[in-house]
Amino acid sequence: MDDLERELEPHIDLENDSDSSEDNSSKGEKKSKFPLVKPIYGDQTQQNGFRRTTSMCRERIREAMLHHRWEEAAEYMVYYPQILEDRNLFTAQPSKEFIWRTATEIFHHHPNSTMEDYNTIYERMKHSGFRHYLMISLEHSFHLLLHQQIEDAKRHLASAESWRHGKETAAQIQNIKLIQAYRGLLDYIIWCDKKSTRSSSDYYESDSNQTMQNYFRQASVNLEEILKNPGVWDCFILRYVEMLEFYEHHKEALQVLNDYAYDSNFPPNPNAHVYLYQYLKRQGASEKRLMKVLKVLHALVPSHELMLEYSSLLLQSEKQSDTQKALGVVLEMLDFNCWGSNLEVWIRLKAVIQKLQNQVDWENIVCEKMAERKDWWLALHLTSFHATKDSKENPELFEVKASLTKILFPDQPLKYSVNGSQVKGKAETKKRKGRRY
Amino acid sequence: MDDEHTAEYTVPCAQCSAVDWGISDEGRFYCRSCHNVIERTREVVDLSFLKLSSRVSTIRGPRKKQAERGHVWMVCEGFQFILKNQADALLALGVHPQFKDDVLCPLWRCYLQKSRQAYTHDPVRSCKFRVRAVGSDLESASEGISCTDGESNPASTAGSNTENSGFWSGSSDTLTYLSARKKRSQSLLSMKKTLSLIYLALVWSREALTLSDLLRLVNEGHIPYLNAYEQLPEEMKVTGKDSLIFVVETVPSHHAVHKEAETLIQFLQLPAFPPISQQTLLHPALLSLRYLSDVNLPDELHPWVCRLLEHTGMMDQTLHTFDPRNHPTLPRYDVQAAALIIVTLKLFFCLDDMTEWHLSNDLGRQKDSGKVFNLRRWYKVMQAALIRAQERRDQNVSRKQWKSKKQIYPNKKEKCSMIKKKRIAEQVQLCFEKLTSCPSGLQDVGPSSFIFCWGDEEESDGPSLHHMKLDEVVTRRYDFLTPLNDIYWHPALRRCLCYNSHYKEVEATLPRSFIWLLQLFAFMLDVKPFCLYEEVLSVERRIFDTRLYRGKSKANAGSSAETAGASPEAQASLNTRTSPRRTRTSPRTAEASVGTWASHRKRQRSRKS
Repeated sequence: MDDLERELEPHIDLENDSDSSEDNSSKGEKKSKFPLVKPIYGDQTQQNGFRRTTSMCRERIREAMLHHRWEEAAEYMVYYPQILEDRNLFTAQPSKEFIWRTATEIFHHHPNSTMEDYNTIYERMKHSGFRHYLMISLEHSFHLLLHQQIEDAKRHLASAESWRHGKETAAQIQNIKLIQAYRGLLDYIIWCDKKSTRSSSDYYESDSNQTMQNYFRQASVNLEEILKNPGVWDCFILRYVEMLEFYEHHKEALQVLNDYAYDSNFPPNPNAHVYLYQYLKRQGASEKRLMKVLKVLHALVPSHELMLEYSSLLLQSEKQSDTQKALGVVLEMLDFNCWGSNLEVWIRLKAVIQKLQNQVDWENIVCEKMAERKDWWLALHLTSFHATKDSKENPELFEVKASLTKILFPDQPLKYSVNGSQVKGKAETKKRKGRRY
Repeated sequence: MDDEHTAEYTVPCAQCSAVDWGISDEGRFYCRSCHNVIERTREVVDLSFLKLSSRVSTIRGPRKKQAERGHVWMVCEGFQFILKNQADALLALGVHPQFKDDVLCPLWRCYLQKSRQAYTHDPVRSCKFRVRAVGSDLESASEGISCTDGESNPASTAGSNTENSGFWSGSSDTLTYLSARKKRSQSLLSMKKTLSLIYLALVWSREALTLSDLLRLVNEGHIPYLNAYEQLPEEMKVTGKDSLIFVVETVPSHHAVHKEAETLIQFLQLPAFPPISQQTLLHPALLSLRYLSDVNLPDELHPWVCRLLEHTGMMDQTLHTFDPRNHPTLPRYDVQAAALIIVTLKLFFCLDDMTEWHLSNDLGRQKDSGKVFNLRRWYKVMQAALIRAQERRDQNVSRKQWKSKKQIYPNKKEKCSMIKKKRIAEQVQLCFEKLTSCPSGLQDVGPSSFIFCWGDEEESDGPSLHHMKLDEVVTRRYDFLTPLNDIYWHPALRRCLCYNSHYKEVEATLPRSFIWLLQLFAFMLDVKPFCLYEEVLSVERRIFDTRLYRGKSKANAGSSAETAGASPEAQASLNTRTSPRRTRTSPRTAEASVGTWASHRKRQRSRKS
């Protein structure tokens, strides 16, 4: 950002100058309107030995890191930090981030690095300027989390949360939210720990109950706050709902999940509907409600695995139109290659068609649905190659598919069943030959 | 309120290294940036006691300050110490002791006088100053340079007191320096100027150190330059605005110091320098011998370089000696010697990307090729060594520590943040030092005149080719030994009216082997290739047209067409091309200018430039 600004500034100034002089004097006309060559920074850096050293050093660190020579990179890192003392803020500012990121990366790969080294770098760079304070704090606590130091991580997040620095705080509002969210998550983790220890010992001990309650309250404050902001908060909302469920705050949990799924300010998020569905299922909600959720999910992700459940729910319903819907859902699933060799889906399709056959004009319905698919479904699911593969790997699937082909493509020549059996015979003879030798 | 009490305490915070202390209600020190409370507490002043003796406490303050400031000193005194240190370093490196006392010291005095900084009744400082007695501290400063003269140093009279105006610096006349700097940039000192002064003194005393040697020694840290102010005596506090004068972030280039030295000569109105005769080590005849052995070329080439010198009239010592009347330019001895070697190599091997390899092929087929100089073999050995040396130099550059341990703070405001930055940098550095367990600082290399090392030792750059014979590339014609190769090419020699070098434009059209040779010597001398290229051109001008060369001063060089000489018998086969810049290359009868030595250039080609 700094670099960009620095590069833009002279241009803007020069343009303004030429504009004003054009109005006033004839000299202005002589000034060319071509983009002006920007002042040669390269020359300056060449002249200045200090700049030359730091840029060369940086280049060498980069090179060493790209080739995974971590020891060499660490050696050069000894000489790079002197750039922090540069009185030109334009070079000193971005280099802070460079040092922080490079140093942690090198530590990550260096055989001799210790936790202490990480802490030194994080702490020093955090306090070297306010621009990256929150970001570094967050990463520091991530690193501590990786090393199971949950309490320390929480402490760092707590101090970062209370950090304020004038305008800079406003600029880093996103980071503050993240820090809040992760702090809530850490409270949840501790809550979980307490829960597991509690269940093993005295179940009704009031003391631990109380502390658990405290952690729950702390976590819920942060998480509730964070969930008000539009965004994808998947891992946070799950924990939050888990805690709410534990304390039987069902109404709130449902409210939170509903907001997460249906608030139009949030980006479309299939998981939101999945979580809602799962919650409702756990709560034993009515089929109608479940189907309503799955319908939305179907619109978002037709290939979702929950569509199997959706189709079974549709099948169970009494309405005729629901059976047709079920057919549509299953066919749409099969449009995706990932479900192509899934036995369950094909069995479901068979079941749907069997139920459909009770209706009068079932053939028309199937034809209508298959009309747009007939061009490519044969190639996608029903070639002789598929037949060979299915018969070899999953004979049951082969049978189901074979039985369905006639119904789905009544008037087309089919390669699936006919060739399939021949190939199967050949394959078996080959096998026998193989055994002989 | 707190600031008064915490200002004294500048130890960085252990938690966050900030230097921003506040005092809590309980009187304890705490860090304002991370709220870390430390052991230190505010010294509670008993007010009841103070009431009686408030006057005493007010007198106390300033006195303490005075002690902190150290002596009152002038900027030129600081430079004097730095110069002295630099000269001492040179003496330790083996420069003749006369250099310091008999050459540098008078030069320095002359400079001080001419720039009206001392030895004058009309000092350069325009601001008001109080006349004060000659302070003992100032005498100690002037004693810094080994010879003290009897008279009192008039500079001391100018020691003004800058307690006023809140201007903050260690020396007393920084303000004058900085404000007048632009106007009198020629006369006032800078760190760069110390080097050019030393350089002038070296040339005057005819030491074997060239400018590129001097700069190399500075770069390698054998001569104090970077952070030289650290070595000033304790009493001379370098603070505040002094940083703008004494802190350097770069070692000046060869070109810059040379230019500075030339302006300095003008400014000092120096008389003619002692003659650089053939026996002097700065003379190209001897300097080229040194460079020949440094780049592993056979010793037998040296007589040929000398013949070239004779032919071009460059043996003459007046050409190499600065004289305000006859020869008012300061030659670049090192670049000139390198250019002479390049031209000699061109005469022998043509260096047009063809001839030299054909010659090498012919040599390779002969039986006793082990003892004969083969350019291809030399190129291979040299190229490998060059790449290694370049890598070494790059490594050293990227590992150079520029920032000093002892910082100068430009103003009080920045002091805290600078201490903090320093501390952070040091801690990060320490962290990686521990990790790599490698000692910080550069690898210590002993000072040496030579870049490369040839021979059979283990750490040498390759086998020595110094004893190789040139027998196969010379021939005897008209009872004269001449090179076998009879082709010589050169770029357009006419001087362009603009002062910029056209090297960048012509570089792509020049033969690669020639460019490589330029780069080799440019690397050795640490100059830009274009400097060397221009010097090669000027030697070639001398070879082919001495009259044109001399005519330059008569201002007819621009109007006269580009000419290139060749022997009469070669005229028939002369192959000329017109260059895009419309420099007409025409044959010229070689009356006196082209002697026997060059008379066997059968063909002459002028390259596009």
